Amino acid sequence: MSSSVQTPPAGPVLAPDPPPPDRSSGPGRVLLRLAGVVLVPVVTAVILWSTLDFLRNEDANRFLVVGVALVVGVLGVFFLFWSMNRLVEWLPARFREGARPYVFVGPALVILSVFLIYPVINTILISFKDAQSQDFTGLDNYRFVFTDDSMLRAIRNTAGWIVLVPLVAVTIGLVFATLADRLRRGEAVAKSLIFLPMAISFVGAAVVWRFMYSFRPDGFGTNIGLLNAIKQGLGQDPVPWLQQKPWNNLMLMVIMVWMQTGFAMIVLSAAIKAIPDEIVEAARIDGASEWRVFRHITIPTIFPTVVVVTTYMVINALKVFDIVFVMGNAEAQGTEVIAERMIRWFFIGDHNGRGAAIAVVLFLAVIPVMIWNVRRFREQESIR
Amino acid sequence: MKAVRALILPVVALTLLAACGSDNDDDAGGQTNTTVTEATGTVTVFNAMEPEEVTALQKVTDDLINSKVKYKATIEGSSQFEEQIKIRVEGGNPPEIAMYPQPGTVVELAKQGKIKALEDLGFNAADLEKTFGKYFMDLGAYNGKHYGLPTNINLKSMIWYPKKAFDAKGYKVPTTFTELIALSDQIVKDGASPWCVGFESGTATGWPATDWMEDIMLRTAGPDTYDRWVTHQIPFNDPAVVKAGEEFGRILFTQGYVLGGAANTTSINFGDAVAPMFTNPPRCYFNRQANFIASFFPKTAVAGTDYDWFPFPKMTQSGDSALFAGELSVVFKDTPAVRDFLTRFSGTEVQCAQGKSIDTSRISPNVNVGADCYANKQLADASKVLTQALKANTARFDASDLMPSAVGSGSFWTGMVKYVQGGRNSLAGVLSDIDKSWPKP
Repeated sequence: MSSSVQTPPAGPVLAPDPPPPDRSSGPGRVLLRLAGVVLVPVVTAVILWSTLDFLRNEDANRFLVVGVALVVGVLGVFFLFWSMNRLVEWLPARFREGARPYVFVGPALVILSVFLIYPVINTILISFKDAQSQDFTGLDNYRFVFTDDSMLRAIRNTAGWIVLVPLVAVTIGLVFATLADRLRRGEAVAKSLIFLPMAISFVGAAVVWRFMYSFRPDGFGTNIGLLNAIKQGLGQDPVPWLQQKPWNNLMLMVIMVWMQTGFAMIVLSAAIKAIPDEIVEAARIDGASEWRVFRHITIPTIFPTVVVVTTYMVINALKVFDIVFVMGNAEAQGTEVIAERMIRWFFIGDHNGRGAAIAVVLFLAVIPVMIWNVRRFREQESIR
Repeated sequence: MKAVRALILPVVALTLLAACGSDNDDDAGGQTNTTVTEATGTVTVFNAMEPEEVTALQKVTDDLINSKVKYKATIEGSSQFEEQIKIRVEGGNPPEIAMYPQPGTVVELAKQGKIKALEDLGFNAADLEKTFGKYFMDLGAYNGKHYGLPTNINLKSMIWYPKKAFDAKGYKVPTTFTELIALSDQIVKDGASPWCVGFESGTATGWPATDWMEDIMLRTAGPDTYDRWVTHQIPFNDPAVVKAGEEFGRILFTQGYVLGGAANTTSINFGDAVAPMFTNPPRCYFNRQANFIASFFPKTAVAGTDYDWFPFPKMTQSGDSALFAGELSVVFKDTPAVRDFLTRFSGTEVQCAQGKSIDTSRISPNVNVGADCYANKQLADASKVLTQALKANTARFDASDLMPSAVGSGSFWTGMVKYVQGGRNSLAGVLSDIDKSWPKP
C-alpha cells in the first residue's frame, strides 16, 4: 500500500508537497476531492475561454491584449498542468497512476480533436447540406460530384496528375541522382540547379510558367513567351499553348515535375550514397555490368526511399491547386482538378455543400495512399 | 482542513469567472454608450482595389477626412477581396466597412443579419434615392431597408478608339449599331481590323465577353427584359438572349472583324488587347471596355488627342442606356466614427476629390458631383452619361455581378469562352448549359 504512494516519480518535481497520506478518513472527503478534481480543470478551462472574449474585444488596448495573451498563454497553460497534477495527487492512490498520463496527454488530445477531428466531422456534415449549410439535402452534393461534366473532368485530370507527375519526376530524379553520383566534380552545382525550383512557391512557379506559355497573336506585340519566341524565331506562327485541349493538362503537369524533380533527386541521391561500397564493388569484381548493378543492387536497396518519395508526390499531386488556379479559367480550358473545384465551389461558387462534398472525396482519395505508405513502412521495420 | 483546501481552488476560480462575466456585461453597456459619445477610434475600409488606387484614395481620405476628425480611417485593398472578406466575416473579425463590387453579396449579408441598414445608421432613404438614383439604391435593398451605400461607379458601355488616326481616315463616330457595322466593313476594306478584343483574365477569363452580352441585351431587349434575365424570370436561353448572342457573334465571327481571329481572343489579356490601337498605323480601331482601361494605354498617349471614346451605340431599343458596375459600401460595425466617415465619404467634397486623381479613375455615383470634378474630359463625359442614365432609370448594373455567383462568376464566363472558341453554331448549347447551371431556389 504505502509503496504505491511513494512511487510517483513526476510528483516531487511539480508538486513539492507530499501527497496527502490519509485517505481513509471517510467517503465524504473522497467525494469532495473527486468533485474538486472534476471541477477545477473545468473552471480553469472556462477562465481561459473567457479571456478569449477579452482578447477579441476590439476596443481594448492592443498592447494589453498582447500582454494578456502572453500571460494567459504561458502561465495559464502552466497553471492548468500544474493544478491538474496537484489534483491527481489528491486522488485516492488507486486511481492516481492510472489518471496521471491522461492529465498530461488530455489537453493535447482535446486540441487535436478540436482542430482536426471536429473539422473533419463538420465537413462531412456540411457535405450533406445545401449551399448555405442550412438544410440537409441527402446525397445531392455527392450526386453532383459524380455527374457534373466539369467534376468528372476534374477527377479524370487528377488521376492523370497522380500517375504522371510522380512517375516522371521520380524517374528523372532517379536517373539524375545516379548519373550525378558518378560525376568527378560539379556534383553539388548540378544538383543545386535541379533543386533550385523547390525554393519557389507553387504560385510563383505558375506565374513564371505563364510567361513560358505566353501567347500574343500577330499584331499584339512581340511574343514574350519563351516557347512562342522560339517558334517565331523558326519562322512559325505562335501557338496559344494553354488552349490546346487536352494537352494543356500535360503543360501544367510539367510545372510540378519541374518543381519536384529536385526533391526526388536529393532524397534518392542520399539513399544511393548510403549503399555500402563493398556490395557494389563485390558485384563489379564478379563482372556485373553497370546496368545489372543498377537493376539488382541500387534499385532494391533504395526501393523504400522510392516508395516514400512517390507517396509524397502522389499526395502532393492530389492536392494540386495553385498551378491550375493561376493558369487561367480551368473550366473553360478543361484543366480542372479536384482541389481547384473545391476552392471554386466554396469561395467563388458560394456552395458550401458541394465544396465540402468535394473535400470529402479528396480526403477519401488520400486515405488509401496513406494506408499503403504506413503498411510498407511497417514491413520495412519488421525486416530490420 | 483538507476539505477546505480542496475547495479553495474552485472558489477562487469561480470568483474570477464571475468577475469576467461582469466584465462582459460592462462591454455590452459600453457598446450602447459609445454610440452617444463622440467619434473616435479607427475605421477600416476593406475593398478590392488595386494598390495605386488604394494609395490615391488614402491620400484623399487623409486630406479631407482624417485631418478634420478624431478617428483614423484606413483604406485597405486586397487582390483576394472576395475570399478574404468572407474569411474575416465568418471568423467574426470583419472590418468596419467593406466595399463590395457585387450587390448580390450585399443582399445575402443583409439576409444573414451581418450588416447594418443605412436607415438604422441615421441615413434618410428618400435623400439617398435622390442622390444615387432609385435603381442603384435598390440593388442593395432587403426587406424594405437599404444596406449598400454607392461610393464608386464605372461606365462599361464605352468604345475606345485611336482618335488621331481615326480622324485622319475621315471616319465618323457612329451613333447607331448599323453605322458601327458599316464603319467596321469600311475599316476591313481599308486593310485593317476594326476590333481589338481580349477576353483573357486569368481565373476570370471570359468576363469581358459577358460585358459585351450585357451591353447588347440592354440595347436589344431593353431594361425590363434585362432585369428579368438577371433574376432568371426568363431562362438563360430565352429568344431575347439568343438574339443578343447572335448580334455579339456578328462582331466576333465576321471575317476580318477581330484582329487575330475570335478563337484567339480568349488567350489575349484584356489589358494587352488595346496595344494594336496605338501602333502606327493602328492595326485595329475599336476596343469596348470600361473606363478603367485607360490605365492600360501607353503612357505617352494623350487623352482627347491620341484616344477618345464614344458610348456603345443604340440598337433596337430607343433611349440611351448605360451598363455600369460599382461598389456598395456596407457597414459591419455601427460606431459614431463609421457614421461620420460614411457621411463625409459619400458627400460631394470627397467624391469630387476622388475623381480628380487620375490613378483612381473613380467616377462618383453621387449625381450632385459635377462634370468639372474629373481629371479629364473622358471621365467627365462618362460621368455625364451615367448621371443621365441613372436619372432616366435606363442604367443597369453588370448582370454577371448580380446573378448567383455560380453563374455570374462561373458558368457565364466559361460559357462565353466556349462560344467564342466554338463559333456561331455553339450558341444554343452554351446558353442552355448556362441555364442548367442556375442554382435551384
